[in-house]
Amino acid sequence: MSGDKEHAIVVENLTKDYGDIRAVDDVSFTVKRGEVFAFLGPNGAGKTTTVEIIETIRAPTSGRVSVLGLDVATSRGAIIPRIGVLPQGFNSFDRITVAESIRFYSRLFGGSAADVDGLMDLTELREKRDVQFKNLSGGLKQRLGIAIALVNDPEVVFLDEPTTGLDPHARRAVWSVLQGLKSKGKTVFLTTHYMEEAELLADTVAIISSGRIVATGSPARLTEMHTEQLRVTLSPGDAASIDLIQRMGFNPARTIDDGVDIPVRTSDDVLGILAAIREAGLPAPSGLEVRRPTLEEVFLKLTSEPPAERSRRSAP
Amino acid sequence: MSPRVVAATLVVRIRSLYRERSALFFTFAFPIILVLVFGAIFTRPERLNFELPVQDHSRSEASARLLEGFTADHVFTILPVPLDVDPALYAREHKLTLLLVIPSEFQSWHDLRAVERDAAAGAPLTYVHDPSSTSVDTKIQLLNSIVAAANQRYSGATAFITLVPQSILSGTYRFIEFFVPGIIAMAIMTSALSNALNSNAELRQKGILRKLAATPITRADWLVSSILYQLMLAVVSTGAILLTSYLVFDVRLHIDMWLPLIVAVEVFAFVGIGMTLTPLAKEAESASAVSNAVLFPMMFLSGTFFPVEMMPGFLQTVARFLPLYYVNEALRAAMIFADSASALRWSSILAAFAAAAFVAGTIRTRWGE
Ligand SMILES: Nc1ncnc2c1ncn2[C@@H]1O[C@H](COP(=O)(O)OP(=O)(O)O)[C@@H](O)[C@H]1O
Ligand SMILES: [Mg+2]
Repeated sequence: MSGDKEHAIVVENLTKDYGDIRAVDDVSFTVKRGEVFAFLGPNGAGKTTTVEIIETIRAPTSGRVSVLGLDVATSRGAIIPRIGVLPQGFNSFDRITVAESIRFYSRLFGGSAADVDGLMDLTELREKRDVQFKNLSGGLKQRLGIAIALVNDPEVVFLDEPTTGLDPHARRAVWSVLQGLKSKGKTVFLTTHYMEEAELLADTVAIISSGRIVATGSPARLTEMHTEQLRVTLSPGDAASIDLIQRMGFNPARTIDDGVDIPVRTSDDVLGILAAIREAGLPAPSGLEVRRPTLEEVFLKLTSEPPAERSRRSAP
Repeated sequence: MSPRVVAATLVVRIRSLYRERSALFFTFAFPIILVLVFGAIFTRPERLNFELPVQDHSRSEASARLLEGFTADHVFTILPVPLDVDPALYAREHKLTLLLVIPSEFQSWHDLRAVERDAAAGAPLTYVHDPSSTSVDTKIQLLNSIVAAANQRYSGATAFITLVPQSILSGTYRFIEFFVPGIIAMAIMTSALSNALNSNAELRQKGILRKLAATPITRADWLVSSILYQLMLAVVSTGAILLTSYLVFDVRLHIDMWLPLIVAVEVFAFVGIGMTLTPLAKEAESASAVSNAVLFPMMFLSGTFFPVEMMPGFLQTVARFLPLYYVNEALRAAMIFADSASALRWSSILAAFAAAAFVAGTIRTRWGE
């Protein structure tokens, strides 16, 4: 494993129990060097637990985890200087300014004060350099957290829910910072419960639900694999058209904005439906949309399993 | 341990303190205010002076001479009480704790003894007193000693045994001189303990400790920086207390190498105790509850505000288990009595406390989870 040049992170059969609760249940996955890996799951799925075990700050109950070819159980001291961490709900010292915070953390890693300006530029915090942490908005706090996660020029960056609780503008600003990281060739391990975030940023997505990984792959492959269907939306969808479509053997459903949603298999099905509507002399729909299901729909489908399994712990 | 990391952490702590006015106030101004308030309360005129209400039914030369004895040396100031009132009722109504009644026969009793030399003659004076008052015992003792001196004169002989005072103190000291070392001890304890508890709980709650866990900072770096920070605060607040008490009350205490030594050991002891208690105080709210639960009993039972000897026996025993007691004893031995042997003895016990607290605290301190 130590000679692994391809993988930044290798997780094998990782399990973590908190008392009777199994938070992470026999999880295995790998993260390639240079990729953005999104760990996608609802609250309480076990994302933070997993990521903090990889960061060496929590101990696993069982399983093997290696980062940059180093075992987390034995090589904490060698791993820490090579990774950067944005913890969930990041906070810094209330009365310390942006520039001082970055400098403080860079001192902890032995860095000089020289790269502070560069990090503030990267995270667009230059103007805020003398603002105390407690006076920063949520988005700026997260960007400071990202700047701090980069003080040691890490090879792997872990970001635990970097945009949770931010407004859409602040979220976009964080995304653009993350895209900057990707273009610098860093390996990024991102946890999130926003599908759009994973879809936009990630090369690989792993969906975790109740401590288990339920799907892994590129966003496109995941949507392909987990839906054999296309969706057509016609609008407006009058009753006669719905009736007609139903008689053709499809399964149309009304949407909230008076359209009609039809799962189909191929694009020929779409042409057939449109032709039938015209032949029947029904009004042609003014709106037509054909799309693959979003990652969100895949995510909802895969994680809608009742989380009752959570507290049931298999015998050791 | 890395000096660079310790220095960086220390800078963050100092900046945070400097930028938070209320923290500055509680660290430095509070002990100074205590010195000012208690100094003002306890700065008495050179001699004690009590008011003594007297109902003098005799109004004679003999009773006047007796009362002169009471007012000599300004021990008592006589307040005449009307003759037509019941003394007990009057005392209750006017909230008097002690009232002396001189019967109308006093002059004739005096004559029997002093002129006719009747050795069996006596002069019973009644005093009405309120036994629930804390100051009444002192007054009664003073009364008794003045009466004893008067009896002595009636017997005609010169006193055989007399007492010559000699102070064990190296100068003339007032209560404030005893009080100042106690305030120093208390200020350091409060700052070290509540800071260790509150700031750790706050940093934990905010996830800063978790972030630090993902950096190369070690527990030793963190600990050394908190001790240096507390030592620095201790030096500043000790200086401020000493300076205030010197400038305002002209308090001059003996200052030698024992002062910084005891202060340093105290900082270690209470940072250690704070670390030991940290796991009990995960949230900021419970942190102040835990620190108050330790601070207040310690403050009152360890002789900060009044001597431990004034407490009932079992509480005196309890005091012997409290580290602050040893700080008080050590500081007073060094600063009031200039007694190095006692200072060494008390601070050794304190050092043992500090070592135990430190070991316990180090074992219990953890970064993550
Ligand atoms: N320190 C802890 N002690 C006990 N239970 C925990 C602890 N941390 C997390 N858990 C539990 O483990 C599960 C997974 O939590 P977490 O890893 O934080 O999930 P996520 O980050 O995906 O929201 C949750 O049920 C949570 O309550
Ligand atoms: Mg989480």
